[in-house]
Amino acid sequence: MQGPLIDTLARQGISRRTFLKYCATLASMMALPPAAGRAMAEAMAAARRPSVIWLPFQECTGCTESITRSHAPSLEGMIFDLISLDYQETLMAAAGHQAEEARLNAMKENKGKYLLIVDGSIPLGIDGAYSCIGGRSNVDILKEAAEGCAAIVAMGSCASYGGIPKANPNPTGAVSVSDIIKDKPIVNIPGCPPIPAVMTGVLAHYLSFGTLPELDDKGRPKAFYGETIHDRCYRRPFYDQGKFAKTFDDAGARQGWCLFELGCKGPVTHNACATTKWNGGTSWPVESGHGCLGCSEPDFWDAGGFYKALSMPADPLKFVAAASVAGAAAGVAVSVANRGKKSAAKSAHEPTTLTDLEKSS
Amino acid sequence: MNDLLFLTWVRSTGLNIAIGIFLLGVLWRLFEIYSLGRKTDLSAPRHAPGASGLHTVFRRSLPPPGMLKRSPVSYIGGYIFHIGLAIVVFLFVPHILLVTNLTGLSWPGLPSQFVDLAAVVTMAAMIVVLVDRINKPAKRFLSTFEDWFTWAVTFLPVLTGWMAVQHLLLPYTLMLALHILSVEILLVVLPFTKLFHAFTLFGSRWYNGRANGHKGVPV
Amino acid sequence: MSLDAIPIRIVDLPSGGGDRSAGLTGNARPLLHELSASVQRLLDTGDTTTIDLSALPLTPADLDWLRDKLGEGEIAMTLQAGGESTLSETACPGIWWVTHRNAQGVETSQFIEVAFVPELARAHPEDVAIGRESLEHLISDLE
Repeated sequence: MQGPLIDTLARQGISRRTFLKYCATLASMMALPPAAGRAMAEAMAAARRPSVIWLPFQECTGCTESITRSHAPSLEGMIFDLISLDYQETLMAAAGHQAEEARLNAMKENKGKYLLIVDGSIPLGIDGAYSCIGGRSNVDILKEAAEGCAAIVAMGSCASYGGIPKANPNPTGAVSVSDIIKDKPIVNIPGCPPIPAVMTGVLAHYLSFGTLPELDDKGRPKAFYGETIHDRCYRRPFYDQGKFAKTFDDAGARQGWCLFELGCKGPVTHNACATTKWNGGTSWPVESGHGCLGCSEPDFWDAGGFYKALSMPADPLKFVAAASVAGAAAGVAVSVANRGKKSAAKSAHEPTTLTDLEKSS
Repeated sequence: MNDLLFLTWVRSTGLNIAIGIFLLGVLWRLFEIYSLGRKTDLSAPRHAPGASGLHTVFRRSLPPPGMLKRSPVSYIGGYIFHIGLAIVVFLFVPHILLVTNLTGLSWPGLPSQFVDLAAVVTMAAMIVVLVDRINKPAKRFLSTFEDWFTWAVTFLPVLTGWMAVQHLLLPYTLMLALHILSVEILLVVLPFTKLFHAFTLFGSRWYNGRANGHKGVPV
Repeated sequence: MSLDAIPIRIVDLPSGGGDRSAGLTGNARPLLHELSASVQRLLDTGDTTTIDLSALPLTPADLDWLRDKLGEGEIAMTLQAGGESTLSETACPGIWWVTHRNAQGVETSQFIEVAFVPELARAHPEDVAIGRESLEHLISDLE
């Protein structure tokens, strides 16, 4: 632990205005009112660095790749100025037992105070043997590390909801962090990969206000996931006017019309791509002419094809043949039964004569 | 369950189940009904002008003399909502795209503004017919649960579809999911209720017309 | 390969030919009314207003339209702080167009600030105090 952050920054030659500017941009990204940027700057300037342990499980390192491309602030800035990243397999110099020791030390020294970041899902199939580190299963390591942490950040769709490993038929029995850990505050930062600035924003919130940001019912920070891609999409006006691109290269596509009919999942996807954009604000999928895949939603992988409009059937019909055969068979069976009934009635028929009727009256 | 999961369910599993039950029920009942048969009428056929199966199929689409005056709401309301439903279901371009997507068949549609108007008129006619059913003591007395239920499952798809297109009340995708769900309920219910008249209507008219035509009676 | 070789017409290109209204949504117009109200508030109470432009559904063409309508004022400031930021007055005094860029030169956020002086231009008292200290050092060093 060191002094207030603003002093650390000043020693590194980062001016107050740079910091204010950063906070203004961050507040804009978090869709907070511009005044909140000032409040964050004040609080964060006085904050101290928390210890952070980053556990990688059944993942593709895409989330780490994403955060290392965080532009504002840069990764180095993040690691050295805002947090004390004590364990991150991919980025740390130490390896093997040394690395594991660093993790255990950080856990012991900062018991109850460290922030745990998890990327990747946790396989539960065959006792978790599908993914192990240092001979121990992921589920084991997670439970151990979660015990002493202050809060968990589930980084990426895999840690948040199971992601691609959990996609049908889920061969490894992959689950999310929140499926295993129930007694710690967990913030989900889904996305495949998640937006680096969202990660930064959550950490900044934690540093400035000492708490995790307000979460929605899927455990995501409302600041970034409160609105759908569609709500904030710059192509939204075309959707409202009913102007849709029908193919990826027609006149509508060239005019930048809405991509709904080309399978865009923007209307049901909660994420901040439309405002924060990607690659340091260069562009984002819809701006590049491709519909949203819905990667920050649970089970997006099984949502019926990336290029199928949301209003179209997700899969080809499955039971048509079976249902037709069964229906026809049932119909034939019932008609056979009806014929049987009819012929039985016919054979049981006895003619009634006038004398019979007179007798009975 | 979030919007995406709900929508995905109605687009895949729900749709599969609904169409499966629909096909099963329709085929079952068609086989059952048309295999019933009747005894051959051994009497010598009589001939009268306008007495045949085909005549009856058309004649029954028109009100019998005097009936239009006695019960205008049933006839005019009935025409309007049936024609309106046909326009909305079969001539709305997204619906045609859906059928094309599933079967490869396609046909030209109508401009969406026109279909939108048809939907509003259809709903208005359906509400008028319902109010009439409630207000007329005889109709109310004759109505069973099935009548109210089938009215509701027919009305809901039109209402939710129209609201989805107009972006009313709920976000479009959630309303769309509810629309698809309501259509799936309709598909499941159709073969097993009086709504099955969509399939048996012309067959039964033909049957009645022919049986009576044999006796020389135009019905 | 130049961009012309790709058969895509960029409708938002501000100086380009063709249909200039193509990328406009009409969403920028109401902002002018909001700005007018904000300026009135600044005059009445001294309260400043900041509008986050990236939080609004504006196309690049809308932003160009807005920038064009607001025009250029007399002052334009450049701030070198983790990338260049520009704070320029528009033709309407009190309305500032603020653009932040990161070290790579990519635009990170854009605001319209309604204030007599943009907030970032003011020096923080602590920084002023530190500045004075080093000035004192300088003076004592010279003696």
